[in-house]
Amino acid sequence: MSKSVKIALAGNPNSGKTTLFNALTGSDQYVGNWPGVTVEKKDGILAGHKEVIIQDLPGIYSLSPYSIEEKVSRRFLVEEGPDAILNIVDGTNIERNLYLSTQLAELGLPMVMAVNMMDVVKKNGDNIDFEKIARALRCEVVGISALKKDGDRMAAEKVVEMAKKSVVEKGPGKLPDVPHVFSGSVEHAIAHIEESIQGKVPARSIRWYAIKIFERDREIIKKLDIGVGEMKHIEEHIRDCEKELDDDAESIITSQRYEFIQNLMSKALTKSEIRKNKATLSDKIDRIVTNRILALPIFILSLCVMWWLAVAENGPGTILTDWANDGFLGDGWHLPFTTHECREEGKYKGMEFEDAQGEFAKQDASKTAWEEAYLEKVNEGKSDEEKVDEMPEEIDEKVAATIVAKGVFVEDEETGEPIAKECDCEKCAAKRDAGDECEGCGCGCGEPDLWDVDFAAYKEAAEWEEPDPGQFGVWVPGISALITDALDRAGVNDTVKSLVNDGAWGGVATVLGFVPVIFIVFLFLAFLEDCGYMARVAFIMDRLFRKFGLSGKSFIPMIVGKGCGVPAVMAARTIENERDHRMTVILATFIPCGAKTVIIAMFAALFFREQWYVAPMMDVVGIAIIVLGGIALKKTRFFAGEAAPFVMELPAYHMPTITGIWRHTWNRLKGYMLKAGLIIFPACVFLWFVMHFDFGFNLLEDEQIEQSILATVGGWIAWILAPLGFGTWQGAAASVSAEIAKEQATATLGLVAANMEGASTAAHITNLFGSMSDFPKLAALSFMIFNLFIPPCMVAIAVTFREMGSKAWGWIAVGFQLFVGYVLALSVYRLGVLFAGGGFGIWTAVAILVDLWCIWMIVRKGSGK
Amino acid sequence: MKLAEMKEGERARIVRVSGEEAVKRHLGALGFVAGTIVRVVGESYGNMILAVHESRIAVNDATAQDVEVANV
Repeated sequence: MSKSVKIALAGNPNSGKTTLFNALTGSDQYVGNWPGVTVEKKDGILAGHKEVIIQDLPGIYSLSPYSIEEKVSRRFLVEEGPDAILNIVDGTNIERNLYLSTQLAELGLPMVMAVNMMDVVKKNGDNIDFEKIARALRCEVVGISALKKDGDRMAAEKVVEMAKKSVVEKGPGKLPDVPHVFSGSVEHAIAHIEESIQGKVPARSIRWYAIKIFERDREIIKKLDIGVGEMKHIEEHIRDCEKELDDDAESIITSQRYEFIQNLMSKALTKSEIRKNKATLSDKIDRIVTNRILALPIFILSLCVMWWLAVAENGPGTILTDWANDGFLGDGWHLPFTTHECREEGKYKGMEFEDAQGEFAKQDASKTAWEEAYLEKVNEGKSDEEKVDEMPEEIDEKVAATIVAKGVFVEDEETGEPIAKECDCEKCAAKRDAGDECEGCGCGCGEPDLWDVDFAAYKEAAEWEEPDPGQFGVWVPGISALITDALDRAGVNDTVKSLVNDGAWGGVATVLGFVPVIFIVFLFLAFLEDCGYMARVAFIMDRLFRKFGLSGKSFIPMIVGKGCGVPAVMAARTIENERDHRMTVILATFIPCGAKTVIIAMFAALFFREQWYVAPMMDVVGIAIIVLGGIALKKTRFFAGEAAPFVMELPAYHMPTITGIWRHTWNRLKGYMLKAGLIIFPACVFLWFVMHFDFGFNLLEDEQIEQSILATVGGWIAWILAPLGFGTWQGAAASVSAEIAKEQATATLGLVAANMEGASTAAHITNLFGSMSDFPKLAALSFMIFNLFIPPCMVAIAVTFREMGSKAWGWIAVGFQLFVGYVLALSVYRLGVLFAGGGFGIWTAVAILVDLWCIWMIVRKGSGK
Repeated sequence: MKLAEMKEGERARIVRVSGEEAVKRHLGALGFVAGTIVRVVGESYGNMILAVHESRIAVNDATAQDVEVANV
């Protein structure tokens, strides 16, 4: 087997590295329009060259370690030594990009420079002389456009060729030709340093090491273990230079590099005069978007737009969700543009499907109302044993003739399901309360619209059969319908049916039902990130974040956290300062992630359809916790001190490409759906078992669910949640299982509520919260808040522990998050109950006291440095 | 003159960068070295967006205080 060739892809952040990597390796890594997207090194095989490994390094500005990414890249380039470097350079900003290139060249590795975005350079009317750059930096230079896939293959072939040649030639004594960019006295000092470290470092990179020592790079000096006497000698040379040039060694190197580049560029770059120093379109957008008055409203508005798209009533998200739940995953759906009125002879002829369903529901309600009245009449005066609860085959005509039921067809508030209902106007209700029969709406209240259902009307109503959807267009059966069908045909018993329907499929379907919402949120985020706006958000938030001791950079992990907490916690690595880093890790997951969005979406749909603001409020609450939590943490001695200064490159705005957005969205969505399969599916099956068996492993009937393992274990911890308004075993089971993955909360709720009253899962869950508290909406809000703001899922907790650096710090993070989630839910529920007239109890007092303590922690004077 | 004192749209030449060493190093890599021309693209409560070479760099107000500039 031939030896593999390693090629490192290095360049500035946002210079098109990942785009080039994807083009060369055929992978689909996500490309972002902000610095710091690639946090860890990624390997890929060069398409068409099985032996060539391309290594995508995090974007860096320099080989002097400032951020963790720069450290990762530098260590890799210097210590692991790839066979060649493919240096990607942004042609539209070539001077700044060459700063890194000069340093890469000094490593003495074979290097090809790919000048990217040549299409834009040409469009701008600029001209770059590759020959001159190649000669000055002693490397090959190729013009490419990674996005348009122009020239990228050629650059790759060239670097492979060079790498293979160097593998062959790699022998002792042959020193590479590296550029000399500094002035006489500096070069003199560097030459001296080179002499004294000879043999201690790889010969080809000796110049790079020498320059680092000149810069007094602590890491390198420590690693090389230079003797005290030797170091003193070197130090003298450095001091001489500093004295002569009246600057510190590091600044001398930086300035002279730029001088060298400017010199080179004055010869190699011809800029079109027209564009010089003019405000670009990006600048004009920034003047509005980062404007001191408009910046925050624009940001909040964009959040609201996202939520409107995702969860607002009649918004695209809701329409898609309804289709997914009831149609695709549920009973079935009509293919668009195939629907028509019923053409078949019969009761429904000429009706549209929805009208037909409504008509049937109305008739069905009449039928049910009359049957109830009939059974009541027949059972009058009979003992419990004699009572019948089903309609007899033969209806007693005599009895039937005396019955006139009062039918009202109304829609269930929460579920929209049609139900039959008695008149509940005040007069009728008063009569009923007094024990009198309500006489129907002779009371003149006018509504609800009652009608008489006598025997004739009943017989007419009973003739209506459920409309066949196939008569109204091309009907595609939903997955639930298909599964039920298949099970029926297989003739399996009820337990298996329940396992499949309620356990395995039910849970997964609940989670998959939210794919449309997640999709819209991810799509919107992808758009904001790819167009460049997200980097501005970090800038906008810096002012606010600095008030509680974090920089705007901490906001980037929080934006990433909107998608998923795991990469968010990892993205915090871009924060240089350890204290800022830890605090960001603790706070980042308070932003509701994609999985928590599922919980929000469910509760918004079930309980807060009229309160559209509840969903975006959860993001605002997340930010508020971060701000207030940050202030409080900053005042403890662990986190006291100023935040690191904010310095960040803002990429130019650009219109994202559809493929880019799609790749980005799909990558995240794929992860979400895989999770539904790999985690939620087994979790649901497990939950079904603990719900349907007791500790003696006896299979339980549906009514015996209270004896199940889940109910028993849930009961043990339910008391902890009792002050929050959902302290039942169902609430406990849902909250605990949500630690597997947050969206599991919705799946578990669906499972544990399955034997509640109601025609659909939605109704079951609504009724479940109704059974928990006299204030179901508040209990639901409390449950949602609790699950959003306690520690994230297990995976994110594990990453948090890793990134915090120690177990103790990990526990501090998780403990803080638990405290916040609990106190928030407690306060919302207890104070909500108090304002809703539910009275003042011991827990109300506790909530107020803890809140006061929190306020004190926030407003008190800090313990200082 | 300090960079922080500049107004939106103004241009100046960097004279000297001071402040914490690591930050100074990072600013240097981004092009903040003596001789470079900067232009203020936007300013919000002291935080600034600056044009340096062809890139846009956002800095907070304290950092803008650490950069000495002179009129072009």
